[in-house]
Amino acid sequence: MHRLQTLLLPRLKSCAALLALIGLTGVARAQEAAETVNRWGLGEPASDYGYRFTDLFWLITILVGVSFVLVLILIAIPVIRDRARPGHKASFDHGSSLHDKQVTTVISVITFLVLDAWVLVIAMQDLREAYWAYPDGDDEGVYEVQVLAQQWSWNFRAAGADGEFGTADDILSNSELVVPVGRPVSFQMTSKDVIHALFLPEMRMKKDVNPGDLNKAWFQANRSGDFTILCAELCGFAHYQMHGKLTVLEQDTFNEWEQEASKLALAAFDSEDTESQWAWDWEQ
Amino acid sequence: MRRPTLYVLLTACVAIAALSSFRGDEIVSEPSLAAEASLAPEEVEASSDEQAEVANDEPRHFRAPHNVNLFITEDDAVRAPGEDWFEQQAELFPGRYSYDESLADGEGGWVDKDGKYELRYDEEEEEAFYWRVLTKEELTIGRQDYVQFCASCHGFEGDGYGRSAQHLRPGPRNFQRAMFKFSKVTQALPSDEALKTLIRNGLDGTPMLAWDLSDQQLDGIIQYIKTLSEPETGWRDLFTEIGDVVEVGENPWVGKESEAVTAGEKVYHKNDCYACHPGYLAPPDLAALREAPEGTTFRDNLSYPAIKDSDYTVLDHQLKILPPDFTWHQLRAGTTPLDLFKTIAAGIKGAAMPQWKGAFPDEDIWAVAYYVHHLVTEYKDQPAKRSAFMNALRRDQ
Ligand SMILES: [Cu+2]
Repeated sequence: MHRLQTLLLPRLKSCAALLALIGLTGVARAQEAAETVNRWGLGEPASDYGYRFTDLFWLITILVGVSFVLVLILIAIPVIRDRARPGHKASFDHGSSLHDKQVTTVISVITFLVLDAWVLVIAMQDLREAYWAYPDGDDEGVYEVQVLAQQWSWNFRAAGADGEFGTADDILSNSELVVPVGRPVSFQMTSKDVIHALFLPEMRMKKDVNPGDLNKAWFQANRSGDFTILCAELCGFAHYQMHGKLTVLEQDTFNEWEQEASKLALAAFDSEDTESQWAWDWEQ
Repeated sequence: MRRPTLYVLLTACVAIAALSSFRGDEIVSEPSLAAEASLAPEEVEASSDEQAEVANDEPRHFRAPHNVNLFITEDDAVRAPGEDWFEQQAELFPGRYSYDESLADGEGGWVDKDGKYELRYDEEEEEAFYWRVLTKEELTIGRQDYVQFCASCHGFEGDGYGRSAQHLRPGPRNFQRAMFKFSKVTQALPSDEALKTLIRNGLDGTPMLAWDLSDQQLDGIIQYIKTLSEPETGWRDLFTEIGDVVEVGENPWVGKESEAVTAGEKVYHKNDCYACHPGYLAPPDLAALREAPEGTTFRDNLSYPAIKDSDYTVLDHQLKILPPDFTWHQLRAGTTPLDLFKTIAAGIKGAAMPQWKGAFPDEDIWAVAYYVHHLVTEYKDQPAKRSAFMNALRRDQ
């Protein structure tokens, strides 16, 4: 142990310098990467309700960060004040006096009210007003998508030009989804094999997809572009490869795209191939 | 409250919670679980024939048996590469293969020092055949990897109908039939190399992923897949030829890519590619290019692909395949001119796309490859640009 100390101590400064250097290169790299893909932050949400997630995320991060520092300070004070030193014996107790119990109770209640209750109220509000406020099925403006997850890809089915599921012009796609901007996109999802989770990080949307069950989710994109589709539930060996591309198109381009996709689906339709017709009636 | 009392109470709470969460399981007793139970370890020791019968009686989707060498009890032999391959290998790896003139009843043949390949003389056919002898150990490891990576789609018995294959189009390959669309080889059966490339690259736009596996794992899986061929067919047939990867040769259009695109457009439209794929010329332009007589009409919906029959089946249903529209559909086996050259030259097995190598000069195939590459890079995933292009073609229709 002693040898190790004599070996390390003189080198401590150079070690620290080296570490700082590595750290700085890391930051420089991160900035370089950020110019192409923003990997070090949440990025701007691309959906109407996405700001709720961002706000909640930062609220929790700040609350927890502040409490963490507070707790560290509260631990540091007695450790320094009551330590053993010449002329002072280290003092400690079990915190079993009435006064201690009162202080503990007050701190707990304040912590609960400030942290848990506050976050809970906002979270419940977000769920009620946004994430669970599914768009009305009768609304013409809703773009409906059926999702059939499997190891290890996403099968999507949109109703196509006729607006009916389970017809010849349904738009089928694999791990690629095209949706319009500014219209609610509503999902009904199930799985063939194991539990998956449809995760659209830029849209701040994530929902489990269970075999034998029909789960719902929705979002409304606020800008066009290419975004990410991920599976957020460990679902087997190639879970990490279960990703796809979400394309959000402007309304005009989308309408044209939908017409064409529907016609090509019609060209590919084989009426005798009943096994490929996996659609279900849209559940209200 | 005294401390021991507290501990007792806490333990009791945990126990009650644990018990109540188990109660649900007792009620569940589905037939699928009963089926699994019949695959008890004692039955594993039975002879291979008996096991095959047991397996056939099972519902189609039983879970992976824990003991995955369940079906492998004997060494298996599958068709090995031919004479040429051994000659090449002997040059590449001196000492591994040697020629022995006394073999095969005096006809001569190659000997493999590792004992992986065997030359057998068939007296009835009066011909010598190369076989790869697969040991039980090799096949067991191959099957273990197969179950982990492939079986969810291709099925535990390789029938192309695993749990995740239901409703899936294009369907996963049925290994019992040993037929592959994108092997990029000139014969019916792909070589090991061709299969390795295919598994490594995956097939874009399908759940056939690009599998990042070691050479050893891939070899094991491929050897195991070969044994799934029905007896006397595919790799277990004496007479099947194992295909060489399609010969590429020199690219005649290097430095003249834009000329290649123009030439490719001509080749494409002069040779009826638009009979299945879309025609990318307006009918009057197409008629002019083909010097067709006045009043010639082309097929309806010329700018859309036309669906074709294939040799592939799912649940005994003959599948149809839509040839891709290059400005719209995701191509499966690469979009570089080289990939496209290989795919066009080798054709797509079991589909309406024939092997073009030999039917056309390589120069023309290269030109079409450049043309298709141009269509993909210009219009695919660019909806506005594509609809402008396609609408211009359809204006006169
Ligand atoms: Cu998944």
